[in-house]
Amino acid sequence: MRTLAFPCGLHRAGVSRRDFLWELGGGLGGVALAALVADEAHAASRTSNPLAARPPMFAPRAKAVINIFCPGGLSHLDTFDHKPELVKRAGTPFDTTGDVQFFASKPGNCQPSYWPFRQHGECGRWVSDLLPGLAGHVDEMAFIHSMQSKTALHGPAMFMANSGFILPGFPAMGAWVTYGLGSASEDLPAFVVLPDHRGLPPGGPVNWGAGFLPAIHQGTVIETAEGRPPIADLFAPRDHASLVDGEGAGREFLAAVNARHLAPRDDTSELAARIAAYELAARLQLSAPEVTNLSGEPASVESLYRLDHPDIGPFGRQCLLARRLVERGVRFVQIYCGAENTAVKKIRPNWDSHEDLVRDHGYWGPILDGGASALLTDLKAHGLLDTTLVMCQTEFGRQPAAQGKGRDHNAGAFTVWMAGGGIRGGTAYGASDPLGFKAEDHPTFCYDLHATALHLLGIDHTRLSVYNNGIQRRLTDVHGHVLTDLVA
Amino acid sequence: MPITDARPPGSTHRALLLLVTAALGRVAGTVVASPIEESIRPLLVARCGACHGPETQESGLRLDVRHRAIQGGDFGAVIVPGKAAESELIRRITSTDHETMMPPDGERLSAAEVRLLTEWIDSGAEWPESEFDRLARATDRDPRLDHWSWQPVVRPAVPAARPDWPVRNEIDRFLQHALAERGLAPAPEADRRTLVRRLSFDLLGLPPAPEDVEAFVADPSVDAHERLVDRLLASARYGERWARHWLDIAHYADTHGFERDQIRPNAWRYRDWVIDALNRDLPYDEFLRRQIAGDVIAPDDPDHTVATGFLAAGPWDFVGQVETKSDVLRRQARADDLDDMLTQVMTAACGVTVNCARCHDHKLDPISQKEYYALAAVFAGVRRADAPTSRAALERHTRRQRELTAAVAAARAEVHALAGRPVDLADIVGGGDGRGGGRKGFGIDPRNGKEADAKARGFLSAITVNAPKPGPTKLVNAVFVPHGADDVPVTTTGLRVSGLPETSKAGWDAIRNGPVASQHSTKLDGVDYAGKGHTILGLHANAGITFDLAEVFATVAVVDPRFRGVVGYGGTTPEAGADYFVFVDGTLVANGRIGCDDGGTAIDVPLPPASRFLTLVATDGGNGIGMDQIFFGDARIEGVPPSLGDEQKRALADAEGRLAALEEELKSLEAPEKVFGPVTETPPPVKVNIRGNPEALGDEVGPGTIAAVASLPARFGDVAMPEGDRRRAIAAWITDPHNPLTPRVIVNRLWHHHFGTGLVDTPSDLGLGGGRPSHPDLLDWLAAELVSRKWSLKEMHRLICTSHAYRQRSVGVPGATASLAVDAENRLLWRQSPRRLDAESLRDATLTVSGCLNPVMHGPGYRDFDYEEAYAPVYRYVTPDRPELWRRSIYRFVVRSTPHSFLTTLDCPNPANLTPARLETTTALQSLALLNNDFMLRQAGHWAKRLERDAGADPAAQVRRAYALALCRDPDEVELAAAVTLVQSAGLVQFCRMLFNANEFIYVD
Repeated sequence: MRTLAFPCGLHRAGVSRRDFLWELGGGLGGVALAALVADEAHAASRTSNPLAARPPMFAPRAKAVINIFCPGGLSHLDTFDHKPELVKRAGTPFDTTGDVQFFASKPGNCQPSYWPFRQHGECGRWVSDLLPGLAGHVDEMAFIHSMQSKTALHGPAMFMANSGFILPGFPAMGAWVTYGLGSASEDLPAFVVLPDHRGLPPGGPVNWGAGFLPAIHQGTVIETAEGRPPIADLFAPRDHASLVDGEGAGREFLAAVNARHLAPRDDTSELAARIAAYELAARLQLSAPEVTNLSGEPASVESLYRLDHPDIGPFGRQCLLARRLVERGVRFVQIYCGAENTAVKKIRPNWDSHEDLVRDHGYWGPILDGGASALLTDLKAHGLLDTTLVMCQTEFGRQPAAQGKGRDHNAGAFTVWMAGGGIRGGTAYGASDPLGFKAEDHPTFCYDLHATALHLLGIDHTRLSVYNNGIQRRLTDVHGHVLTDLVA
Repeated sequence: MPITDARPPGSTHRALLLLVTAALGRVAGTVVASPIEESIRPLLVARCGACHGPETQESGLRLDVRHRAIQGGDFGAVIVPGKAAESELIRRITSTDHETMMPPDGERLSAAEVRLLTEWIDSGAEWPESEFDRLARATDRDPRLDHWSWQPVVRPAVPAARPDWPVRNEIDRFLQHALAERGLAPAPEADRRTLVRRLSFDLLGLPPAPEDVEAFVADPSVDAHERLVDRLLASARYGERWARHWLDIAHYADTHGFERDQIRPNAWRYRDWVIDALNRDLPYDEFLRRQIAGDVIAPDDPDHTVATGFLAAGPWDFVGQVETKSDVLRRQARADDLDDMLTQVMTAACGVTVNCARCHDHKLDPISQKEYYALAAVFAGVRRADAPTSRAALERHTRRQRELTAAVAAARAEVHALAGRPVDLADIVGGGDGRGGGRKGFGIDPRNGKEADAKARGFLSAITVNAPKPGPTKLVNAVFVPHGADDVPVTTTGLRVSGLPETSKAGWDAIRNGPVASQHSTKLDGVDYAGKGHTILGLHANAGITFDLAEVFATVAVVDPRFRGVVGYGGTTPEAGADYFVFVDGTLVANGRIGCDDGGTAIDVPLPPASRFLTLVATDGGNGIGMDQIFFGDARIEGVPPSLGDEQKRALADAEGRLAALEEELKSLEAPEKVFGPVTETPPPVKVNIRGNPEALGDEVGPGTIAAVASLPARFGDVAMPEGDRRRAIAAWITDPHNPLTPRVIVNRLWHHHFGTGLVDTPSDLGLGGGRPSHPDLLDWLAAELVSRKWSLKEMHRLICTSHAYRQRSVGVPGATASLAVDAENRLLWRQSPRRLDAESLRDATLTVSGCLNPVMHGPGYRDFDYEEAYAPVYRYVTPDRPELWRRSIYRFVVRSTPHSFLTTLDCPNPANLTPARLETTTALQSLALLNNDFMLRQAGHWAKRLERDAGADPAAQVRRAYALALCRDPDEVELAAAVTLVQSAGLVQFCRMLFNANEFIYVD
């Protein structure tokens, strides 16, 4: 087990702890350190942390979640859902009635996977040649092949996959999880989002919003690009460098002013909580730069995540950060593998492959494959896979009929997978029809996925609820069943 | 662990079981030996009773008593005597579909139980009426109808005052009565500095100026407080502050939201209307009436029409409503749109959560799913769009525009007739004469020759092939759907052509003056034929069109005419899979098979003087019509212009001059003012969406509302009721003085904002799931008072803000420890509750204190972001020092998809949600935002400069001025010494930065 505080190895390089902090924080780390040291005398104030860890409802299998999201609509037919019938019918009309209308097009001919499928692992699950790395992990993965969404529109489908509702404004799964369980980390946000460096997914930050839960439960974006401040407002911007020197004195003054204000109002707990929040902020100023500084990771880890690869590297960095965050007690990390929808870029910035699936999935496949397979390997190597649930989601699948050289949206069937955290590896739940057009065997929605994930975290999804405008709201609405077949 | 915030009573099920047990006991005692009593009823009670029993009737279905079991639920009978297989009851208990199976959770019925019910129904479902059934039938009344909020408002007697307690008005007598009952006492009045700061933030959302503080503190008159309240209520800042509260429950924003989060350039007019309406104290009933039906009541008065921006204030999904080709997805998006609209109106005005009855009857309140769809029918004719603020002005504009357009077309035709310019065939397809005037996007239906509007069509049904029909103008001799087994007729005169292939006999969209539906590209070889100076004749397979050249030449003089153009493919299939043909008088002159990699093929054929018919045809290439978007670019009949005489030249110059002048006038015609609001249509039929699914339709429903309010009729009219009348009816229902919900809801909202918690702590839910009123009599007294004071909100503010309860201290309250033990949440108001500034007030206060606040009112919102036009537009927040960005937060341009990160961190809600009450959280990220956000640090710098301006170079004077500005008081000696030391050691800006972070700045006592 590694120590949690400073595993980066900078001590060995002869840099003092104080120097290290100043270097990272543009100088403000010194203040943070002062607050940290002062805080040790105020350990009691930690109890006012609204994110303090809370016990689950029953013994959990997983302590943390890493959710990999592939926005745009990952094609199940070219990745995990093997359809020999589609090969047989290749090139023949998909719809002879003329009645079928997809999101943006009329169906073309049947189009089998652009990549051949092979069986892998002891379980013999089928995976296409697009994802050779993940294929090596099938014995750890559980697939749901009968996923459906209530909509084939990106924005609403993103919201549904994340919050269970197609409308914006409902708490994301990460918000619900931290609402239920708090966080094991005192010094980092409980729900962290690592967006794609190209931009935000369809629907934007609403996807990790807290909805009607307290704002503390919204996802905190950690900037993944190297050399940028990891969290907004973590330190004063460079324009205000002149404020750095006096911050220590300023904070002492603030503490004194607040203490005087509090004395006659000591029955108002919010005021004390606000004072404590400044101490928590100081700890965050230490821990956030530390977690995003990868310089202490060994070369073997760098090459595992392909950090030097121009396309795979940035996603590999997101995956590695996710491991480091979970290692430090962060409850829920969401990684985006892709950004918004647009056809104006040479390669689509996410999985929404309408025009040219070979071009776009051919680009994104190795990225997902490289990062996600490294993550599974690395979590296992660190002994974290057993207690970390890895989920890989998308908002919907793609159509078995061609749309030119691409595929249109398919809300009727798609595949998601989970691994680790109490998941029974090498298993699958449900199936789509022989063409992969509609979920056929045990059709299901994200409700069951969410219910299962909460179950693994020790939460009964029917009891994690909060009153909002007339109704006890849940992540799973009025639906959801734990997919016990997939639980080890 | 706050896993469940259990609002509805958790004991319902236990109570139900007891009730059922008691009922059965009685039954068992009186009736014996019937299969009903022995097995059927006990089974139904045990396995279905929790949701379909005496307390709860999901979907209106109750199974434990005879008359209701026979009657069935909202979706009709569930028991068909003699036919178990057709009975919904049996279907549900045997279903394996998670969405429909019953019971939905828990153990399934055993095979024996299913058999028992099946056999009973098959044998005729005999159910002799027992005494219990008779009793149930006689007393079948929903006890939820007795809930307090549905009952009429009755003005209660005001309790007597205690002589030893301070009473300012009736409010205090109600509150103190409740305090006395619990052994509590009211707190003493707060000092004047506290009161002026409290009142200023509360009524204006801004801190008081130091001069105003000192004036109030020094005011010797006994009614100083009352006069201060009046002065604040008269300030224009009041409307800016309280509009924020109303816009929270209207979930107002300046963009659509969802994936393609586009700008609403005309939304702000509604925001300004709310500010102004509050400032002039528009009576609250009128305030609501105009927001719901102003455009119907006074369509030419912007003061009415702009108000209806309320109906459109919420999110709207462009992709789902417009962009997608899928009708199923459109219906879903529209259903969500209507849900948002009716939920907003009903929760904002009446505090009823009708949205919970969208998929099934309301679980808690007596609101049926049918009533929900009756409300949907009220708004079914309303869509969100930019709407004119005056119908008359719009009509004037439209008339003038039409006149000018016609004049331009006539002048252009004159010019072209003289100059012999080319005749554009796409223009003819759009209804023109070939020289402008054809409407872009319009076309001709190849099945019948009728004009097709710009609305995209998909597959054409009811096609008869090879049946030429005359076009809408004489320039088009015929259109047809070709199928080439034999010679194909291509004109109405019987001319036939040979060589056309057999087709799928299917068609897609119209022949268009522009691209056809689903056309992927309008470019060929780099030339965009949708661009200026070019035209597109969209001709999707299978279709043909024959132009009458004789008619064309009759209107324009052309020497040596030729047909010229470029033909190409606008789909996405690279394999050549679609054919085009060009015939002149039935003779093939051009033909090819093309795909998207083929680019354009130029066509240039002479048209002999005697030629009569030019025919263009597209066919599907033999593989169905999946991908056959043929189009002709710049399809034109060109010739040499006839030589002009002097007189003709003069006439041409004259016509060209008039044309230019008219075009200029048309271009400079100013568009009438708009607001993002309701655009109406004849309401389509509204049917119950079974389980909330727009694809599963039940009975048709006419416009109406909830019947739980028994004092008013719930039916508005039948399904033929006109759109405007429906909204008039709901507005009248909501603002009827006998509606008990409307006045209770608004006085409770006012109370919520003045005291931090409402008398009902769920301000948008007065139903059974909401909170119980802490002081029911006071709530009703205030509601009655509002109506008798002609719905004046300012009078209610005055009443509340001048009460002793409002003036109480929050700090230094004698006996606070004991009072906290009795009422920790201060629901009984034994003191005032300290409050944190909301996000907008904190920002506005910062700007005020620093001296930067820009007081400009009204107009489009300030945009503190960089905007990047894209499929999904990108908004990046910025913090430069620009006075435009220092306006009050109410004027912020609110982006739905990209919440303002600084304000969101401070609990500014997402406008996706209806927000009756702001959350107040305390987080480390808030501390970081206030300490380090660029905006805050820049403001600290501006504040420091102001202090130097106001107080000179003396640090002590600077600190005193800072305390006066930010905290409304002087520092004491200790504070002054510490602050001066900080200023001297770390600088004035550092001191300002820290004071912005002080609890005393951020909290109001």
